[in-house]
Amino acid sequence: MNTPRIAISIGACLVLCAGMAGACGEMLQGATRTIEGKSYVVVFKTVPDPIAVGSHFALDFAVCPRAKAEAPRSVRVDAGMPEHRHGMNYRPVVTTRPSGAYRADGLMFHMPGRWDLTFDVAATSGTERLTSTMQLE
Amino acid sequence: MRLLGLAFGALMAFGAAAEPVAVLPFSDAETRRILAHGPWPPPAERDPSNRVSGNKAAIALGAALFRDPRLSSNGAIACATCHRADRGFADGLPKAHGLATVDRNTPSVANAYLQRWYGWDGAGDSLWAQSLRPILDPREMGSDFARLAATVRGDADLVRRYRQAFGAPPSSDDETVAVNVAKALAAFQETIVTGRTPFDDFRDALARDDRAAAARYPLAAQRGLAIFIGQGRCNVCHIGPRFSNGEFHDIGIPFFAGPGRVDAGRFEGIRRLKASRYNLLGPFNDDPTRGTATGTRYVASEHRNFGEFKVPSLRNVARTAPYMHNGSLATLRDVVRHYSEIDEDRLHADGERILKPLRLSKAESDDLVAFLASLDDGGP
Repeated sequence: MNTPRIAISIGACLVLCAGMAGACGEMLQGATRTIEGKSYVVVFKTVPDPIAVGSHFALDFAVCPRAKAEAPRSVRVDAGMPEHRHGMNYRPVVTTRPSGAYRADGLMFHMPGRWDLTFDVAATSGTERLTSTMQLE
Repeated sequence: MRLLGLAFGALMAFGAAAEPVAVLPFSDAETRRILAHGPWPPPAERDPSNRVSGNKAAIALGAALFRDPRLSSNGAIACATCHRADRGFADGLPKAHGLATVDRNTPSVANAYLQRWYGWDGAGDSLWAQSLRPILDPREMGSDFARLAATVRGDADLVRRYRQAFGAPPSSDDETVAVNVAKALAAFQETIVTGRTPFDDFRDALARDDRAAAARYPLAAQRGLAIFIGQGRCNVCHIGPRFSNGEFHDIGIPFFAGPGRVDAGRFEGIRRLKASRYNLLGPFNDDPTRGTATGTRYVASEHRNFGEFKVPSLRNVARTAPYMHNGSLATLRDVVRHYSEIDEDRLHADGERILKPLRLSKAESDDLVAFLASLDDGGP
């Protein structure tokens, strides 16, 4: 019988997905992007989503240490257009939420094209940069 | 699918040199880029930082003040002296001339309500703050708070209009009266909106897949539009319904303002913005949430800002010659030639890798100029 098999598969997926969400960023509702780093995982969403060229937006994100990695001491967010060799015209400020998640305010992508969004996660052992590429029309 | 295809119709323009009426085969991606330049006009929105934004009495007061030369120290220069309706709300001069000649070209105030930053260097973050600046600049109108407030208080009609707009007569505080004058001027300028253009009709025809209507847009303008959103990549900065991203770039125009003087552009603009008591983080913002102050709060000064100037809107651009921050290019054809032959050595060493010489043929340059001319609303 096919129907029960499908139901079992969906059920397994739901359990797995819930487990993955719980692994990092469970305090974030609707996080849409994940960056897998060597020591950290970052999950984030833009506010609003989607974003528009030339309009300010914020990021809600969580940083999760992998096994044996220490908790981050600070996180810095920035972005740039590598093909144009310039960054944003604004310097975002990161704040910590009571939930343990972070909010970065003050971002703007002022041109269409490829943007590299970077999270610099600093710990006593060093800083890891996690990068997500976004394409804006 | 919005691809219209080449639609040589039965309609043929009359005249020996007429081209067949058609729509170029814009791809889906090109069509999306074209649609991003509208719709026009965008909905009117109140400026929350200005409590009299959208207030009819304030608009009427602002209209009167805009034309009133008593706002200047010599009683001869009004806002309308440089922002002339018959010149696209610019002045047609290479460099603005008030009490003295300044280093920059007069920008149009049309569609100003849609801007984030004001002035070529963006030292203003609201229309009302920007309205105050030339009144106080000794090279432009050269007035001061005391003179400005006395002018309002000394004119019964202005006092009446002021009371209607602000709910009380001018107070004894000169600075407050001056800022309110600026807010009334802003309320009036928010009403200066350019009309719909042949491009807008074409854009909307594409949006509703109406090829017959789209075909009324001249082919030369369509070819120019194809360059604008294609090889020219003009829409990287001239994006959106205003044809501007509202930000700042170095496009290789010299920033020497005179012997021994440079115009630092955005670099100095950010410094002045941050230092201004009249910015959106200051005490005169009427919005306690500071909801429109995001840019002011987070803008960062970088070395590359030196020599950057604001991307101007292109609506009604054919009316606002000459061009660039210093008025150094006399015609739209000169502007197209600048980008076609741009000297990359003039860009900053750490400048942006966006600009490359376009090497346009004469026919391509003609088409690009035809497109720019089609951004005109045809008004008086």
